[in-house]
Amino acid sequence: MSKKEKKSVNDWATDVHLDIPEDEIWTYQVPGLAAPHINKPYKHYNLKKTVFVIVILIAVSLSMFFSIMALQNDTFEYTETKNGIEFSKFSNTGYLYELDIDYVSDIEYIPGNNDPNTNFRVVKDEDKPITSVRQFTLNCDDKIKTIRIGENVEFVDTKAFYSCWALQNIEVDENNPNYCDVDGVLYNKDKTALLCYPCDHDEYLRRKYGYERELYKDEVTPEYEIDVQTYVVPATVVKLDEMCFNYANLRKIYLPEGLRRIETLAVFKLHEKVDQWGTTPSLTNIYSYKSDDVTDTHFTSEKALGEVYNSLPEGLEFIGSDAFSYNQALSYVYIPESVTYIGHHAFWDTVYKEGGELKGVTVMNVAVSEEEFDKLEIGDDWKPKYDYLLFKKAVDTAFNAERK
Amino acid sequence: MSNENKSSIVDKGKMLFGEIKEHWNTPAEGKYVPYKEYKDVVIGVGANYTGTKTLEYIGFWSSCFLIMHHYKLPYLTFSVIGLLNMPLGYISALIWWYVCDNLGFLPKKTEKKVYLVYGLMMGFGISTLLFDYSRLFDQSGSFITILNSFEGMNATACFKTFGTHFLYTGWVGARNIFWRKKLIPKYGRYKYSLYCDVIPKCVMVILIGWLPVYNIADVATRVWVANLLFATYNVFGFGNVLEECSKRISPNLQERILVRSYPVKISHIFNSILAIILPAVVGMLRHEWADINFYRFVIPITFCISAAFTMGLAGRIKERIPQPPIEKKVQIKFWDGMLGVMKNKYLLIKTVVDLIDALGNGMLPFATILYFYTFRLSGLPYSLIVALISFAGTPPDLLSPYFLKRFSYKQIMIFYQLSRAIGNVVIAVAMWTLGDNLALCGTICIVVLFFMEMTKTVPTTAGHDMGVRINDYQMYLSGERLESFAGIFGWFTGPITTFIGLIIPIFLLKYGFNSNWEILFFDGSRRNIVVIPIIVDAIGFFLMTIPYLFWDYDNKKQNLVMEVLKRRAEVTEKKAQEEGVTISGGYKG
Repeated sequence: MSKKEKKSVNDWATDVHLDIPEDEIWTYQVPGLAAPHINKPYKHYNLKKTVFVIVILIAVSLSMFFSIMALQNDTFEYTETKNGIEFSKFSNTGYLYELDIDYVSDIEYIPGNNDPNTNFRVVKDEDKPITSVRQFTLNCDDKIKTIRIGENVEFVDTKAFYSCWALQNIEVDENNPNYCDVDGVLYNKDKTALLCYPCDHDEYLRRKYGYERELYKDEVTPEYEIDVQTYVVPATVVKLDEMCFNYANLRKIYLPEGLRRIETLAVFKLHEKVDQWGTTPSLTNIYSYKSDDVTDTHFTSEKALGEVYNSLPEGLEFIGSDAFSYNQALSYVYIPESVTYIGHHAFWDTVYKEGGELKGVTVMNVAVSEEEFDKLEIGDDWKPKYDYLLFKKAVDTAFNAERK
Repeated sequence: MSNENKSSIVDKGKMLFGEIKEHWNTPAEGKYVPYKEYKDVVIGVGANYTGTKTLEYIGFWSSCFLIMHHYKLPYLTFSVIGLLNMPLGYISALIWWYVCDNLGFLPKKTEKKVYLVYGLMMGFGISTLLFDYSRLFDQSGSFITILNSFEGMNATACFKTFGTHFLYTGWVGARNIFWRKKLIPKYGRYKYSLYCDVIPKCVMVILIGWLPVYNIADVATRVWVANLLFATYNVFGFGNVLEECSKRISPNLQERILVRSYPVKISHIFNSILAIILPAVVGMLRHEWADINFYRFVIPITFCISAAFTMGLAGRIKERIPQPPIEKKVQIKFWDGMLGVMKNKYLLIKTVVDLIDALGNGMLPFATILYFYTFRLSGLPYSLIVALISFAGTPPDLLSPYFLKRFSYKQIMIFYQLSRAIGNVVIAVAMWTLGDNLALCGTICIVVLFFMEMTKTVPTTAGHDMGVRINDYQMYLSGERLESFAGIFGWFTGPITTFIGLIIPIFLLKYGFNSNWEILFFDGSRRNIVVIPIIVDAIGFFLMTIPYLFWDYDNKKQNLVMEVLKRRAEVTEKKAQEEGVTISGGYKG
C-alpha cells in the first residue's frame, strides 16, 4: 500500500455496484454481514418472546435484590482491628436520638409494637467493648442529640462525628483514660486538645440557661450572646483539632495564650439564624487571654481571664488550611509573630462587598515584616479575596502591624 | 489586498444585501424561507436554546448547585430513588412508546383505557401523598426496617417517593395525549409543547427558588418533598424544540443546511454570552454559588425573558417538510421491532460499551470539584476557564473530515477510550501526589482536561456518523430503521447499570462524602473522594476498548449496504409504477 493510500483508509471503494436480481432484494446477504430478515416469520417466535420477558423479569428482580442489599445499612457496623473492635459506621433508623459508644450493639425490634419511636431496643454485648471510632462513623446524621463514649474507647478519629447537625452533647465516661468532656464538648483526657464542639451545642446551652427558643440574629441580647454564643477554650488547650468548631453557632471564642495549633477547618463556617429559614455568619471576633488557670468554658467576665486581647494568641504556631473560612462576620485578624505556618485558604471568603463597601476582614494584620513573613511556610490564597473589576483581589496585608 | 479584490468583495456584499432586501418577506424561487424568518430563527432559537441551558442549573441530581448547597440531600439517596422508580419505568415506557408512536392519536376505546390507567396512577400517587401507607405494615417487620435503613430515607419517604413517580407518570402521560391531540394539528409536531408548558414552567422555576423546602429539618421529609417538587417541575417541558423545528424549515435540502449553518449557529451566541455573564453575576453575590438569590432572582429572570422571546417568535418559525397525515402513520409490530434490533450486532457491541461505561456512574463531576474546591473559582475567572476548556474542542472539530477520512471508526474509538483512560490516570496521579500543591496540581488537571476536550470532538462526530450508518444497517437487516426500538437494549442494561452504578457512591460514602459537599475542602478527603472513582472510571475506559476490537463495520460494508438499499428502492418503485400505485418519499440514490 502506498503512503498516499495508507493516509486515507476511508475514502476508497465509493464505486461499488451490486447486481442483485429483483427477487433477491430482500434476502441478498452482504459478505461479512448478517443476512436480512424481512417479511419472514421468526423461528420459535413465542419461545423468543417468552425468553425475552423472563430475562427482563429476572434481570430487574436480581438488580433490585442486589441493589437493595448494597443500599441497606445495618444500624451499627463494626470492624475487628488488632487493637480491638472499631465502630466503623452508624446508620440511623430514623428514630434514634441518643447513641452509646461503649459495647457492640444491635437493634432488636419489639414484635406487635407499631410505634416506630418505641418499637425497638438497643441490645449491647458487654463481652465486646468498642476500642476505637473510625472517621465518618456518623456522617451528616440529623437525629442524634447525645453521644456517650464508654470507658474502653481508646481512640476517636477527629472526623468521627462529621456534620451531625442535631448533636448537642458528647458525654464521656469519667473512667475513660483517654478522653473527657467539658459540659458536652469533647477533649482529650488532659484537655490539651479540643476535639469536637457539637454542631447544635447551642441548643443544649439554651436549655441550660433557660432560654425557651433560639434567638435570631437581630433578637440576640447581651446575656444570650454570653450564655449561648460565647465559648472560652480552657487554658490547658494547645490544639484546636481538625473541624472542631465547624458549623457551631458562636459569636465569640476566647483562646488561651498557650494555644499552639489551629488545625484544618477548625473554625470553619460558624453561623447563626437570621430568621426561621436563613442563616448568616456568626463569628464576630476571636479573643486571646493570658490567665493559665481557666477551666470554666462559660464566659463570666474578662477579668476572670486575666489580660484579654484581640485576635489570635501570641505563641500560636500553626494555622491549618481553611481554618477560619467563610466567617464573614469576623472583622479583625492579627497574625502573631510566633506563627510559622499558614495553610491554603486559611481565611477564605471572610471578606465581602456590600453597597460597594468592603466588609469583614478587609486587611490582614501581620506582626512580622514582609521579609520575615516571606520566609514562613504560607499556603496558596491564604488571604481572603473580594470582587474587583469582575476578577478577585486579595485584601491588603499590613506588615509590622500593632495589635488593636 | 488589490483594488480589484476589494471591489469584488464590496460587490458581493451589495449583491447579498440586495438579495436579502428583495426576499425579506417572500422567498426566492425554488426556496421556501424568507430572510425575515432567518432573523426569527436567530432570535427564537437563540432564546429557546438559552432558556434550556438556563434550566440546566436546576435539577434533581446531586451535583446541581441548588441540591449541593441548599437541599443537602444524601448522595446515595438518589440511587435509592432510582431503584424505587425502576420497575414502574418499564411499564410506563411501554405505554409511552405506544402513545408517542401514534403521536397521541389513539382509537377512542384505547384512548379511554389509557386515560383510565393514567388516572388510576395519578389517584394512587395522590393517595400516597395524603396517607402514610407504610403504617399499614408491621413497623418492626423486616420490610419496614429495610426501608428505614436506606440512606436519607425512611419507610414513609419511600412510599411517598414511590407514589410521586406514579403521580408523575400518570400526569405526564395524560397531558401527553391531551395536548398532542389538541395542539399538534395547530402548531406542528415539534413546537406544540411550548404552548402548553411555558407558563407552568415559568411558575415552577420561580417556585423552586422561593419555596423553602430545603429548610425542612428532617432529611427523609426533605427528600420526598423535594422529589415531589422536582417531579412537578419536570412535568412541564421546555426543550430545544425551535431548533428541531428549524431542521424541518424547508423541503429544500440546500436551504435547510444553510439555515442550520448560519442562523442556527449564530443563535447559539446568546447562550455563549450568557454562559460568561451568569457566573460573573454569581461572583457578585455575597455567598456566590451558595447564594439562594441566584435561584430566587437570577435564574427565574433569565429564564422568563428567554421564554418570552421564545414564545414571541415560535409562531414565525415554520415546519415545511411534507409528511404523511398523522392519522396514517404506519406502525411496526412491537415484537417484530424488538427481535429486529436484537439481530443488530453493532447495537449489541455499543450496548456492551455502555455497560462498561456504567462503571463511572455515580462519580462526582471532577471539573466542578476542581473549579470550586481546589481553585475556589467564581465570577469571571470561572467563566473564562470553562469557556477556554469548552473552546478546546472547536479547532479539532474543523479537522474532523480529515480524521474521519484518515482513520477508521474502530481506530478513532479505541484512541478515544485510551485517551480518556490515560487522561484520568494522569489526573489521579497528580491529585494523589501533588494534592497539597494547588497551583501545580490544578494546572496539570486543567491541561489534561483541555487535552481530553480536544480529543473528544472527532470521536463524537464519528459516533454521530456511525449512528446513522448503524440505522442504515438496521434498514438492510429489517427493512426499517427501527430507531425507537433500539431503546430496548436499555431494558437489559438498565438493571445491571443500576447495580454497577452503586459501586462509586458506596465508596464515596466510606470516604466521608454524603450530603455535605464541604468535606471536599478537606484535602485528604478530597483526594480519596476524587481519585478512587477516577481510577475506577479509567479502568472502565481501558475495558471499553475491548468491544471495539470486534467492530468490523467499515466503509466497504456501508457502501455495499447502501447498494442493497438503493436496489430495493429501485425495484419497489418500479413495481409500484407497474401496478399504478403512487409513491412518495422514496430515494434511489
